[in-house]
Amino acid sequence: MKYTPYSLTDLIRHDAFIAWVLNPDAESDAYWKGFLEQYPEKTKTVESAREYIYLLAEDTGRNRPTEAQSSKMWKVVEDSMYVEEPVAAEEEKPVVHAWRWLRVAASVALICGIGAMSFWYFLRPGEMISLRQKVAPAGKGSIEVVNASAAKRIVLLPDGSSVVLDPGSQLSYQKMQTGQKREVTLVGKGFFEIVKDPGKPFLVYSRGIVTKVLGTSFSVDAREKTGQVKVEVKTGKVTVFPVSTGATEMEVSNAEKKGFILYPDQRIALTAGSGKVLKPVEASIRELDQQDISSQLFVFDETPVTEVFKALEAAYNVKIIYNVDALEKCPLTATLVGQPFSKKLAVICNAIDATYEINGDQVRITGNGCK
Amino acid sequence: MVTEDTFGRWETEQQLWLALRQGDEQAFTFIFEKYHRTLYNYGCKLTTHTAVTEDAIQDIFIDIWRLRANLTEHISSIKFYLYRTLRRRIHQTLDKYPATEEITDLSEPDIMPLSFSDSQTLLIESESNLIRAQRIRELLALLPERQLEAITLRYFDEFSIEEIGQIMGVNEKSVRNFLYKALTAFRQTQNFIINFLLIICALPIF
Repeated sequence: MKYTPYSLTDLIRHDAFIAWVLNPDAESDAYWKGFLEQYPEKTKTVESAREYIYLLAEDTGRNRPTEAQSSKMWKVVEDSMYVEEPVAAEEEKPVVHAWRWLRVAASVALICGIGAMSFWYFLRPGEMISLRQKVAPAGKGSIEVVNASAAKRIVLLPDGSSVVLDPGSQLSYQKMQTGQKREVTLVGKGFFEIVKDPGKPFLVYSRGIVTKVLGTSFSVDAREKTGQVKVEVKTGKVTVFPVSTGATEMEVSNAEKKGFILYPDQRIALTAGSGKVLKPVEASIRELDQQDISSQLFVFDETPVTEVFKALEAAYNVKIIYNVDALEKCPLTATLVGQPFSKKLAVICNAIDATYEINGDQVRITGNGCK
Repeated sequence: MVTEDTFGRWETEQQLWLALRQGDEQAFTFIFEKYHRTLYNYGCKLTTHTAVTEDAIQDIFIDIWRLRANLTEHISSIKFYLYRTLRRRIHQTLDKYPATEEITDLSEPDIMPLSFSDSQTLLIESESNLIRAQRIRELLALLPERQLEAITLRYFDEFSIEEIGQIMGVNEKSVRNFLYKALTAFRQTQNFIINFLLIICALPIF
């Protein structure tokens, strides 16, 4: 029997392995991929070990305080912040007296200030609240991607879905999506291509509007300047509904029942926050913009794969590195509508017998070419 | 720009800590908001009385604000500092007011006798996620307190073995032991269930 270096329990306890599962990066990805190439028979063990680590993390993290407990604790802490140390000096009574008044006045002013601040902070409509309360209730393991560049930027989510973010837009998501839902928060505009997982709906929170899908492609435009949130569906079916901040699960599910259902090539516009319908469900007008991913079809018929790569590079703003001489002669016939970026690559590579590797916004395709 | 761990408008953890020491209320509020939930989660592994955990969290934050000027200048990890302080605080409280049950079980009794071979562990690699999830839940409910604590710090809070040792006040070897025992217990439960199922299935034959 071949010597196998890691058993299931070894992996579950392995420092570098845990780090890779919970916080993967390019380096650890490469290492464990290499490991699997060397020991392909370990694939199942690695998958199980990953699953166990997720489960252990999830299950040991269940004891969170309720919102009520959180505010209760904060109230006690906050109250104590403005209590001065008891004054020992008894002899200077009149002075102390005057001081006390001043102190009380100062405290009152301070407390009012804090109150006003938190009022402003908590009740300000829009993304702050949804970001705080709806996506990362634990405030843990949340990843924020800001596209500060002037071009579009691709974001690969842990479940394999991909999002193309417009300049100036921001996306937050949990690095571990072990719960019942996949949830992200969008500020700005993005085009989503979501991996199908009927057991785990995908929800986009954007300025008080929720877009819920099981697996499909669509764009959400929640840029601040417009005051509205526009959702446009390319493939599949999505539900759009407004939620008030701090809504309970029950209220969210009720809101969802009254939500708008959109089918391919339909769009809707709602006011940000309140969710009033600005433009009812209507057919989208396809703008023939080759640069805009949401209007691209990705239908290829005997197209040289190098052309396909160029189309992907333009749509996702990535750099694809490949051997032109080897792959030039590979024709591709495929319809790649609505699949996430990595799925598209997988389909293409499968067809031309190549492999791919994503590293940030660079993709390396390795293949021997076609005859 | 992907930021794994952010510190609000403070660029680094050190800057956030400095702001707190200088009496910046927003820094303090931010630290409370960022860490109190996971601290609470950890506290619940140390005591089943949620009121004790709540009080302890309030107390450590009240102290941090009150004594902010005297806090250590250099801190490697705010989270680590908070966890260590919370653990000490909860244990102090429990010693002062002994709870009805035994708090730390030093003997850590084994859940089941070790009598199955390692080869059976292969079986769990191919079972469904659902069964796996259920088993993990059952196992964690059965684990002795300190093993559960170590597992929580390791997999949920993502501390290193060294940090866990320092938080729990034991050496690294003991931490590895806790974790090893927990995962072994897990394997045994697993084997127990399989054997149980085998027996059930075999019954009609006789």
